[in-house]
Amino acid sequence: MPHTEVETMSQSTAVRPVRRRPALAAGRPARGRRNRMQATGWPWILPAVVLVVGLVYYGIGYTGYISTLDWDGVSPTPEHVGAANYAHLLKDPVFWLAVRHTVVFFVVTFAVQTVIGFVFAALMHSTVRLRALYKVVVFMPVVLAPATMAPVFRQFFGVDGQLNWMLRHVGLDSLAQPWLAQSSTALPVIMAITVWQWTGITFILYYAAMSQIEPEILEAARIDGAGNVRSLWSIVWPMCRGTTAAMAMLGVIGALKTFDVPYLVTIGGPNYATEFLGTLIYRVSIPQTHVGYGAALSVTLLVLALAGAIATALRSRKGGRSDV
Amino acid sequence: MFEARRISGKVVLQLVATLIAIPYVLPLVAMVQGSLAGQGVGNYRAVFATGVVGTYFRNSALVAAGTILIVYVCTMLASFGFSKLRIAGKEVIFWMILAALTLPEVVLLTPVFATATTLGIYNQLIAVVLPLAALQVPFTVLLTRNFFDGIPNELMEAARVDGANVWRTFWHIMLPLTRPIAAAIVVLTLINAWNDYLLPLVLLQDPGKQVVTLLPQYFVSQFANDQTKVLASAVIVAIPEILAYLSLQRLFERGLSAGALK
Repeated sequence: MPHTEVETMSQSTAVRPVRRRPALAAGRPARGRRNRMQATGWPWILPAVVLVVGLVYYGIGYTGYISTLDWDGVSPTPEHVGAANYAHLLKDPVFWLAVRHTVVFFVVTFAVQTVIGFVFAALMHSTVRLRALYKVVVFMPVVLAPATMAPVFRQFFGVDGQLNWMLRHVGLDSLAQPWLAQSSTALPVIMAITVWQWTGITFILYYAAMSQIEPEILEAARIDGAGNVRSLWSIVWPMCRGTTAAMAMLGVIGALKTFDVPYLVTIGGPNYATEFLGTLIYRVSIPQTHVGYGAALSVTLLVLALAGAIATALRSRKGGRSDV
Repeated sequence: MFEARRISGKVVLQLVATLIAIPYVLPLVAMVQGSLAGQGVGNYRAVFATGVVGTYFRNSALVAAGTILIVYVCTMLASFGFSKLRIAGKEVIFWMILAALTLPEVVLLTPVFATATTLGIYNQLIAVVLPLAALQVPFTVLLTRNFFDGIPNELMEAARVDGANVWRTFWHIMLPLTRPIAAAIVVLTLINAWNDYLLPLVLLQDPGKQVVTLLPQYFVSQFANDQTKVLASAVIVAIPEILAYLSLQRLFERGLSAGALK
């Protein structure tokens, strides 16, 4: 099919290639398969490079510069303070709280999502009825914007919300509580919402990974006397390691990027109980207009995100090698 | 994966699957139920009566379309260049673009805000579109370059021998082959642009310029504490997304999960 297209178009541009080809052959004989296409790729990658460098790298540089200022964002004479913002950051208890929340958030959401996603994927590969419906139900939240669902969750977990209503109806009145208004339950609620939102991705990836496993392997294990749980744990789980590693990396970056849900559902509260780096940077930079300090927090966040990504990438590579 | 020979085993599997799935529907049920509390359908009528719903949807559509266009063009050109053409220092540039993958958008807050104000594009959709596209491109380039790497170089050779220049090879041979990955990119970008909250929150102040993710907030201030109408607006925003997903289920699942596959 492509061949015919080439023929029709070569008629219209017959002149140019004819002129070029002998020169090419005489001047530089083709060295290897890769180098034969002589055109330089610079014009091709230019738009993407301009966009990414012009926005992302410029933005990082700008943020890095602002992070050395004491500035409110509008004053024409910002004061240079050197590393003072960073020194302040190290002593800021809210910053450390946000870091701790991010770590807890990552560990819990990653673990829960992995367990639910993995088990659910295995179930969807088993003889269960209405599978198509179940799959849609679990994946649906991925499509919905956290900002759209935030008011729903504020109501769902509210004092007079559906969760407490259900608890009271099954006789668990003692468990009914103001989930979002107390420090002890606010963070777990934020994590639950995140798990609700993203399990669909984990599930789909495990589901795809499991489709790659040949049934003969499982059959052989069955003949050797392995039960359901045993073959799932000893055969299927290790074969899905690549998926788990990818999800870990995504989870680390995702945890560091967390903003929408804690900002919209609990505004980082109560009493900083759901403060994350994203919500902290937003509050410091925009409503409080400590732009310089916000920038220092941003740079720190960026460093953490890069370090986290590299660490998970290295760990999964090492783990993969020692096992294979 | 699970094998159940006896009826009891099958029942257990069905039960576990149901127990896992139920919490995923509950919030959606709560949303619809809450939106119909009090005045029932009247809540929806009140939301539409404000006359802003259409504007918000139009703006979201414009933002998504603009982002998709920029991302698609940049991604296809750059991935082809990275995969099939000669570039001095290619891998360094490629990794520079990849490093941007980890960037949380909140880091760009102040620079984008300040720059948009300076350039006079604050409060305009383009101020949201450009950073969204810049944050999306690193990932789509990674995906698409891998895809191009899977297309044999012999195809390029054949085209060249037949007299096609690089552009024609790209346009007539490569681009038609990239349809599967292009679909994934469009869906991924669509969801990310449509669902983004932080950039519009900071960059779009004028209600006539705002997007659907800001709609619930708008109604919180419009209807004071009338949650039912806020939830009605959430349902209105969610329905097109749910319909889009249901009608293009495969594409959405593939496109969004491509996010984690390398």
